[in-house]
Formats: sequence, structure tokens, C-alpha cells
Amino acid sequence: MRVLVADDSRVMRQIVIRTLRQAGYDWWEITEAPDGAAALDMVVADEPDLVLSDWNMPEMTGIDLLRAMRANGIDIPFGFVTSEGSNEMREIADEEGALFLIAKPFTAEVFRDTIDPFLA
Amino acid sequence: MKLDLDYAVFAGTDPIYEIADEVFTAMIDGEQGLLSLWEGEVPPFARQMHAWVDVHGAISGRVLLSTEQATAEHLTRALLGMTPDEPVADGDIVDALGEVANVVGGNVKALVPDPGALSLPQVTHERPPTDPESLLYELALCWRGQLLVITLWSLA
Repeated sequence: MRVLVADDSRVMRQIVIRTLRQAGYDWWEITEAPDGAAALDMVVADEPDLVLSDWNMPEMTGIDLLRAMRANGIDIPFGFVTSEGSNEMREIADEEGALFLIAKPFTAEVFRDTIDPFLA
Repeated sequence: MKLDLDYAVFAGTDPIYEIADEVFTAMIDGEQGLLSLWEGEVPPFARQMHAWVDVHGAISGRVLLSTEQATAEHLTRALLGMTPDEPVADGDIVDALGEVANVVGGNVKALVPDPGALSLPQVTHERPPTDPESLLYELALCWRGQLLVITLWSLA
């Protein structure tokens, strides 16, 4: 399973990756992108199995990354890991085709409970 | 100006403390009980650092996190799972403190009706210019014996 983690904070990418390991996904092969535009390039080039993306990023936001992927016919599963978890943002994420939205701060249990159902 | 938060969610407890406690428990400490309200007089900062995010919209405001540089370094080590004597890069300190402000700010924003867009975090050594009359809320916290101050400001 190849997973792309997109977040403009290197520290937060490390925390997300550490939490994924703690949640039991230590077998995942993880790559990192520092913003949405870089993530889009990596998605096109590498075709990962899952994208986990922050929402608020420079260059290209997470929601614009998701829209660009879908507009280009890229159906790779997509989930948000973001500091904002309002109902409005969850609705937008859902409408655009995101599988889930995990709000920061998160725990390994939240990762497991949210992601596991989509791995079956 | 009154801070229009949904206090009912917090059943009478301090909503900003609840948010900060959740952030520190989940992201930084991995256990509860290491963040408490600051007791007694709040001392002035010596080598200060500030991190903030702004919400721009019908209600514009700022969530500002202020602390000592040494505390920011400590926070960064905790966030990255580093040992106490491991050197910390300046860029990582800026990144880490900005992310803490970002996550606290994102959760505060969720309490405000019809919020606008959240800015990217900014981090400086100088306190950002703020009008004392626009201060909405101030909370002094003690994390492992070190001072952290969260303030909320209205922006014109």
C-alpha cells in the first residue's frame, strides 16, 4: 500500500506518519508532499493507493488538490487530515468525493477507526 | 466586543482550555494532565516567541499563542519525539509552534458561527501589533512548569 501524505508542515507530516505507524499501518510505504501542487505532481507521477491531505496549504489547498484530481479522472481514494473539522467542511469534502475527514488533534485510535473500514 | 462562542458544548468548562488540553494530550504528550491553568502572577517573557492564525470573514479574529523560545524548543522536541539533548533546527521550532497555533485556531474557529477562512500560521519573535482594546480573551497555561499564553483578538 503506497500512501502520499500532503501537509505544508514537516512537523505535522512526521506526526501523521508516526500516528499511522501507531495505528498499525507500519507496512505502508509513505511519501510526503509539502503542498497541494507538489502532491498533484506526485499523484500523477506515482499513482499512490491513498492520499492523506491537509486542507489549508500554500500553492494549492487540499480541496483544490482533490478537485484537480477528480477533474483529471484520477479516482485515487482521498482523505483529509486537517485542523478544521466543521460540519460545513465535512460536507464540502464529502461532496467532492473525499472518503473521510480526520480533524486535528487526532489519536491512533481515531486513525484506525476512520481508515480501517475503507481497507476491507 | 463579546466573544460569541458555543459554550454549551463545554458544559461550563473553559472552552479554550478544553481545546488546548486536547491538543496537548493527543499531539504532544500522549497522556493527559501535563497542561494546567497557570497559577499566580504571569511573569513577563524574556526570549519570547509568538505564533498565530487569523480568521477572515463576517467575524475576523486572531488566535495567538505566546511562549518562551526555550518552551517552543521543548514543544518541538515533544512533537517530534526527540530526546532532551537532541539539537532542534530553527525551522522546526517555527514549524512546530505554528502548527500548535494552527490546530488550536482551527478548533476555536469551529466554535464561531459562520466563520471565514483560516490563514496559514505565522511565527515571530516580536509580538504582532495588536490593539489592547481588541483583546477578547486571555488564558495563561502551565505546560510542564512552563508558561504558555493563548489570547484571542478581534480584527477590524
